[in-house]
Amino acid sequence: MLWFTGIICALVIVIGPVYLLLKYSVSDINSINTGGNPVPMWPYNPTLQAYVYLFSDSHFYQVLLNSVVISLFTIALGMILGIPASYVLGRYKLPGRKVLLLMIISVRLFPDIASVIPVVEFFIKIGMHQTYLGVILAHTLLALPYIIFIGAGAFESIPDDLEGQAIILGANRFQTFFKLLFPLAMPGLAAAAIYTFLLSWDEFIFSYFLMLGKQEIYTLTLYLNGIKYAEPQNLLAAISVCLSIPVIAFSFMVQKYMVAGISAGSVK
Amino acid sequence: MKNRRICWEMIILSDFKRTLSIENVKQWFFKTWPIFPAMFYLMSFLVIVLFYLIGLSLNHPCSEINFPTFASFTELFKNEYFNSALINTTLFMILGTPLELITGLFLSFLIFRSFFMRGVIRSLFLIPLALPALVTAMLLFVLFDFPGGHINHIITGGYSWFPQVFDQPINWRGSKLFSMAIALFGKVWRDMPISMLILLAGINNIDPELFDAAKTMGASFRKRAVHVIMPLMIPSISVVLLLRSVEMWKEFIFPFVLAGRYHLLGTLIDFYYNEIGNSHMAATVSIIMVICIVFSTLILMKILELIQKLIVSR
Repeated sequence: MLWFTGIICALVIVIGPVYLLLKYSVSDINSINTGGNPVPMWPYNPTLQAYVYLFSDSHFYQVLLNSVVISLFTIALGMILGIPASYVLGRYKLPGRKVLLLMIISVRLFPDIASVIPVVEFFIKIGMHQTYLGVILAHTLLALPYIIFIGAGAFESIPDDLEGQAIILGANRFQTFFKLLFPLAMPGLAAAAIYTFLLSWDEFIFSYFLMLGKQEIYTLTLYLNGIKYAEPQNLLAAISVCLSIPVIAFSFMVQKYMVAGISAGSVK
Repeated sequence: MKNRRICWEMIILSDFKRTLSIENVKQWFFKTWPIFPAMFYLMSFLVIVLFYLIGLSLNHPCSEINFPTFASFTELFKNEYFNSALINTTLFMILGTPLELITGLFLSFLIFRSFFMRGVIRSLFLIPLALPALVTAMLLFVLFDFPGGHINHIITGGYSWFPQVFDQPINWRGSKLFSMAIALFGKVWRDMPISMLILLAGINNIDPELFDAAKTMGASFRKRAVHVIMPLMIPSISVVLLLRSVEMWKEFIFPFVLAGRYHLLGTLIDFYYNEIGNSHMAATVSIIMVICIVFSTLILMKILELIQKLIVSR
């Protein structure tokens, strides 16, 4: 009985705030501005007016586009740099491997909020402050160690015998990589790409310090933070839901890719 | 003995020379060149971070004081904003770390044994982690609104299912204590699945025979949890405490959204950089934050080592 009560309490604590977020996002404005009366606990006169308002606002589309563009370019740059590095770390037992791994993770040992000032100062100096490129480079910096680690795990899980067989059959290093290893490591690399997208999509600290003051390039997180005092709560909740949906959906996709082990049983 | 040592030295030396031969270096370079662009990228930023942090913190905006100087540090330690932020962050860490452990333990004890729909419940417990931190902070921003947020309506008796606790609504974000408390609540709520997963992994590594043996000897669930599971979970508890304490020191988003006027070290960096426009002070606070993290981790590791020794000796 005690255990059951515990489960119920935990579920209320975990799901309660999420329910309230969804409830606010579909609430009529009159059920939020109640003139001192309690705000109903359920969606009184549920409406999609907050979402309709949001998707009829051209500025919101601009913000959405900024977020998508920055996330996609971060994935592209991160993968271009990360896949070759993860191939080396995953496939070769190199002398000094531990030192290389330490060097890769070293910049991430600094808290984001501590490393953001030097990065912003440097970008101001080279003229990349308040630019898409600056934010993409910063997000790539955050994601790259994770891409390399996830990718190295994906390459490492491919049996050595497969590569050996390809070499015996006359494939050179590039053919082995592009025709054998890369397709086999795809699920892991896809997980790394999705992880990068999520990181860039809801990243706040670097985006805030690098974009503050230039609304044209604001991402969703900055837009949400910028309007928190000005806009009604149902709109804040609707933006929060829009920000969360890709994160929740892609989180499940990453799980799926992580589970898929396409190389299992491929060595005859 | 001496001969054996000389022999070992010769083996090591010859191995070292072999490793450093031009042919081996060429081979190593041929194998590793794809890693260089990523390494160059990451190392460049590491150099930039170190260069600017040290350069800015050992400089002072006052042109009469030359590099290197600790003037920014001395000025900072006299500053009441900084002292207040340091105390706030220390309290945030001291209260938040055990809270994260307790919530993680609570959730992991609830779902470590198999029961109907365990997988579904476990997935539901992971929901806070799937929400972006900013969304969680914004949700609390709405719920703890003054005077019309849900929480104020609950505590002032607005709903029949909850007794009236206060006569007047509370201005949560206008009070240092309450704004810090809701920032801490948000942080703990969002991160509790991480603690749960680490602790769950720790519980799953415990040999179930130990647990069954205690059960056979008549120990109740509470006694089994306290005397069998807990001591064997010390390694995973240590990991939770170490990781979460670091997270508490560097927290930014929750205090930024919910306790804007009352600073932690993280939000003080924003205050100095974006509001005052003093990059030297911001970098100095960053350095102090890193030092605090290193020291607190070392102290915590020492304490955990002592506790582990104490438990083993008992």
